[in-house]
Amino acid sequence: MQTLADYYGKTLKFDKLTSYCPGCGHGIVTRLVAETIEAMGIREKTMAVVGIGCGGFSHHYLEVDAMEAIHGRSPASAIGYKIALPDHIVFTYQGDGDTSAIGLHEIMHAANRGMPITCIMVNNSVFGMTGGQMSPTSIPGQVTSTTATGRDVAVHGYPLLVPEMMRAMQGVSYLARESVVDVKSIKKAAKSIRNAFECQVRGLGFSFVEVISPCPTGLHLSVPDAYAFAAKETLSYFKPQVFKNELEKNDEV
Amino acid sequence: MKETLFLKNTETFAESMIRCGIRCHFAYPITPATDVMKYTSRMLPEHGGRMVQMESELAVSNALAGYACAGKLGATSTSGPGMTLMQEAIGFMAAGELPCIMLDAMRVGPGDGDIIGAQSTYYQATRGGGHGDYRVIVLAPSCGQEIADLMPHGIKLAMTYRNPVLFVVDGVTCQMTETTSFEEPHDYTADFDTSSWAFTGTADHPKRFLVTGSYTHEQGYEMNEKMRQKYVEISDKEQMWEQDQVEDAEVLVVAFGIHGRMCKDLVEASRAKGKRVGFIRPITLWPFPDKAFENIPASVKSILVVEMNHGQMVDDVRLAVNGRVPVHFLGKTGGEIPMCTLAEMTREANNLLEGE
Repeated sequence: MQTLADYYGKTLKFDKLTSYCPGCGHGIVTRLVAETIEAMGIREKTMAVVGIGCGGFSHHYLEVDAMEAIHGRSPASAIGYKIALPDHIVFTYQGDGDTSAIGLHEIMHAANRGMPITCIMVNNSVFGMTGGQMSPTSIPGQVTSTTATGRDVAVHGYPLLVPEMMRAMQGVSYLARESVVDVKSIKKAAKSIRNAFECQVRGLGFSFVEVISPCPTGLHLSVPDAYAFAAKETLSYFKPQVFKNELEKNDEV
Repeated sequence: MKETLFLKNTETFAESMIRCGIRCHFAYPITPATDVMKYTSRMLPEHGGRMVQMESELAVSNALAGYACAGKLGATSTSGPGMTLMQEAIGFMAAGELPCIMLDAMRVGPGDGDIIGAQSTYYQATRGGGHGDYRVIVLAPSCGQEIADLMPHGIKLAMTYRNPVLFVVDGVTCQMTETTSFEEPHDYTADFDTSSWAFTGTADHPKRFLVTGSYTHEQGYEMNEKMRQKYVEISDKEQMWEQDQVEDAEVLVVAFGIHGRMCKDLVEASRAKGKRVGFIRPITLWPFPDKAFENIPASVKSILVVEMNHGQMVDDVRLAVNGRVPVHFLGKTGGEIPMCTLAEMTREANNLLEGE
């Protein structure tokens, strides 16, 4: 009998139910990362460095070596690991809180350093695991448990555009914002994640993909409404695009 | 063949770790530790290694954790406020049982303090600056030669127990230039097989994952209990100290680092005058050498603890002595007078000899 593992390969782990809430975009992004690793044949030399938050559970569903780094510090730990084992593939998997709030310092310097590591930032515009508080990426007017009347930019500032902050950095080899709000977007996200890993394999530099994702629980919305919110409201602020692609200079995958 | 060099003690720390096989030094500039990274940035490439200057101490210590995950022993060096910032990842490394070698060129004061050397971080070093029941093995060399001599032992401790090992040297000693003899270079890190735990990809082992937070309550108990047992073992086996003239002493002076080094002169001069003074110099601050105090002779009337702080190790001495003998304290810190002079130590010891 054919099993899911026969179909998906060894990287995606099916021996336990995921802890992601129903409808959470993390399930899709984790699968895209797993499929990339599987397709590239790099599973046996890949290390996942995951952040704190819902994304921190991603490694439970991946059959690769992994560490849960301290909140926000995954890029620094990934750099340390890459220095120790330069021929291995290391990627971080972090949420928007982990990456752009507590870890903004580490992610920006990792990008600027240009070392070939890959960072995936899953942006659902809210702190998911801690119960729906405002994130740096919460959009103007967004109601969260700490912005009961909606995010007021006069008080809380504007949503943080992480890849836009990185685009001028010369060490960045691949830079994209994608989403998983519909099938077409998921296919584009899959391609960007693959390109980001490919840049690392080829040693071209730092690669980063932000993936806009729905969080039905944190947003207090039904699954369809959470996808609709992400597709309409979140993407209105966070425009999907490939900002930079060094692979174009040497054969995109 | 031994080689003798005339180096600043920060450079001695750097030279020692290079000679003992450490090939990666993560650091961020801070006085008075910075000379370590200046030295390694120049010297490590010649040995196939590198100094990695990160953007902050937070990044330094977390990069060190990532490096250790690969089963390799890296190092860092810092002072006061930098040490405070590193505590997050030091606790993480202790919980994850990841080894590393660290230097705290101890400086004075709370907050940002001052760059003057002191021993103000005894509590932080021995109690842990982070949350949870973890311990860091702490070595307190008193001179450049002892830094060089302790480096192989520190590496052995770090790799054997898979735990961070911290060298604490006051900033005054770190800035001193001394003659130090080095043993033949030897890669002590290679004496330990890390293949049973290192995260090197699943080519040669089933998936490994390091979690220090996302465990069930039951797993959390097991993890903490395993660590507790390890710390009990370290505490039992790894206490180190130097002592002299303890057997018939009336006054025992207890000090670590530079004050511990001054005890030798103090005791020698006192004995020359027929005064029965001895000393105990802790070399491991954690585990604290309780065993040195288990059988102090009945002749000891009082103990004098001398530190470059307002009294931190004195707590451990009092615990070790457990009320059997009065324990007194002499300490000074801050500004231009960060330490006690030999004259002050002698005067205080004499006062105690005279029962004052």
